[in-house]
Amino acid sequence: PRGRWAGDSGSAGRGREQAARAMEPEGEQERERLLHSQRLKAAVHYTVGCLCQEVAEDKGIQFSKQTIAAISEITFRQCEVFAKDLEMFARHGKRTVINSEDVKLLARRSNSLLRYITQKSEELALNNLEQKERKKKKSSTAKGKRTSDEQVEVMAESEDSNMA
Amino acid sequence: MMPRAIVVPPLPRGRCRMEKREESASGFRKETVNKILQLHFKDDKTRVSSDALLLMAEMLNVFVREASARGARQAQAEDLDRVDIEHVEKVLPQLLLDF
Repeated sequence: PRGRWAGDSGSAGRGREQAARAMEPEGEQERERLLHSQRLKAAVHYTVGCLCQEVAEDKGIQFSKQTIAAISEITFRQCEVFAKDLEMFARHGKRTVINSEDVKLLARRSNSLLRYITQKSEELALNNLEQKERKKKKSSTAKGKRTSDEQVEVMAESEDSNMA
Repeated sequence: MMPRAIVVPPLPRGRCRMEKREESASGFRKETVNKILQLHFKDDKTRVSSDALLLMAEMLNVFVREASARGARQAQAEDLDRVDIEHVEKVLPQLLLDF
């Protein structure tokens, strides 16, 4: 039952929240928020457990339950720091949508982390390009097209300037 | 490898497998990451782009793997076969500084 948590609230939850706000006192809204964050903490705990399991197998060592719970708690709290930083970065760039550049800025403190995130970001950009290519090929008739390699190179250069 | 470097897995060559990898291996899901971040935004209008969400999911994966790997290394350095809270406590300050 992976990912049940993620789909749990959503439009139904939002509708309920709106109704609660309209009819009942602040307490109800607070309880909803608490429930929501508890569900998310549980989702984090599950994922942390899975990741720690991989590391445990990799290193031939065991993690105590309290350790998994602690890492889960730390991760959840770190998300708050990340979220606020990301929001500030976007606002600094006069945007309301947080983008890849904001995430790269978040990863600046460690060189290896920054390199990793930057490479992942480039991978994603390339993937987006490939998807656009595929859509173009489907919708237009293939007539005298350049090889996809050349096209990707040309587009990658213009994509860079749009990245920020 | 330098002791303080973040240990990241080698990147897969060729096409991006991040989105596919989410379904087959463990790690944070896009929707979960989105909801967690939304919880802490001050402005209602703040949104996260799709690519940024995927990157943040990776970031969190690295964070958890790093925390657990460093805790494990600490436990192993103390000749133990189980990672307990105190091992995580010992590696926590440097971990937070690195992130």
